[in-house]
Amino acid sequence: MSVASTAAYAARRAAQRERVRILYRKALKDTLNWAVHRHLFYEDADNLRARFEVNRGVEDPDTIDRLIADGEAQYNKWRHPDPYIVPWAPGGSKFTRNPTPPEGIEIVYNYGREDND
Amino acid sequence: MALRAALIRHLRVPVQTVSPAGRVSQPSVANSLFGSIRFMSSHDDHLSKEDVADRVLSVVKSFPKVDPSKVTPDVHFQSDLGLDSLDNVEILMALEEEFKLEIPDKEADKIDSCKLAIEYIHNHPMAS
Repeated sequence: MSVASTAAYAARRAAQRERVRILYRKALKDTLNWAVHRHLFYEDADNLRARFEVNRGVEDPDTIDRLIADGEAQYNKWRHPDPYIVPWAPGGSKFTRNPTPPEGIEIVYNYGREDND
Repeated sequence: MALRAALIRHLRVPVQTVSPAGRVSQPSVANSLFGSIRFMSSHDDHLSKEDVADRVLSVVKSFPKVDPSKVTPDVHFQSDLGLDSLDNVEILMALEEEFKLEIPDKEADKIDSCKLAIEYIHNHPMAS
């Protein structure tokens, strides 16, 4: 790599690192979705980490891109159909269940009193 | 009965009276202790910063690759504790499980140290 393109190279590698981190995060959550019991999850998480560690020393950006694309394809293949999502998060059961009322709306507590009382 | 009277006296809300001259008199001091704590309120359950810090530190200390004696509230995961970026992801997932949060991927990528984690969780409205 020439010196002039080192910044571009570094930026590309940084973007790849971010993709790897996000892929690892999603894969770990997916592993937790599939293996609900903790002892199974710890084993599967170790295996997943080992699979990531195998490719740790790769330096060539094109190979890295290909590996990341392979990893994302595998992740998409193994995604859980009913993942656990925190209830108030998008996709959860409580999402926008009780939105905050818009400004200017007031509740008038007249306890059922009619106008002609 | 006396306890109830004492409790009611303590829970009295301070009334600012405006005298005819227009000056506002000082609120009573007796309410200063209980004015900040509202019993039976559902809007005050935000975690305090020390609470958040304690729980974050306990989660980080119980991580198997971390030496518990080096963990302070200012520690940076990768430079001080010698962790990896993938370990960072794992710690963040443990924090998400501890505080029942869901952190978006882009923001989760940026949380790199205990200080950032404590700040983020403290400012998150749904942390519990």
